[in-house]
Amino acid sequence: MDQGNGQFEPTSRSAVLEPQPMNMAATLAICSSGWLVPGLAHVLIGRWIRGLIFTVCVLLMFALGLAMHGKLYGLEFDEPLHVFAFIANIGAGIPYWIAERMNLGVGTMTWPSYDYGTTYLWVCGLLNYLIVLDAFDIAQGRKP
Amino acid sequence: MILSHFTALVIFALIVSTVFALITKNEPREQFRYGVFVFLSFLAVAVVVGWIMYPLPL
Repeated sequence: MDQGNGQFEPTSRSAVLEPQPMNMAATLAICSSGWLVPGLAHVLIGRWIRGLIFTVCVLLMFALGLAMHGKLYGLEFDEPLHVFAFIANIGAGIPYWIAERMNLGVGTMTWPSYDYGTTYLWVCGLLNYLIVLDAFDIAQGRKP
Repeated sequence: MILSHFTALVIFALIVSTVFALITKNEPREQFRYGVFVFLSFLAVAVVVGWIMYPLPL
């Protein structure tokens, strides 16, 4: 709308569509929750459907990885390259620690689907990192 | 659980393409099209690489 001085005031529609960034503390808290419980960050910022789809995808992949006798890596300094596998695994958040406590994810190398299972466990953690970054962008108003 | 390599590949591609589509696109129609593209790309690349590796004595 023209204000008479040559400047245009944003219409109410564009004002509504413009994303409003959250403060950084709230954003980090939401992202942390999304890391611990996959998909929770999107649910907390009001993206229910997207969040639930992410939850199903990550948890399904994690469960399939365990069912295929994949290996969950711990923090082992005697094998330095295993640190990368550990970082990928802990991306799944709380399910990783639950599986560790239940002695799941030991990994049976002779099992036919061992490699696939281990890869599923890595990738579900890495996907959850991407999901958390997506939630960060939405919370900061960088994405609609 | 023992899945065939192809079944494991299809499930893997389905989940990863779903997440990629939802993260990278905003409109539902775009998400669907991109998800299908990524899913089919996963399958096609796997089959092609499989056939390329077939004659190799590994």
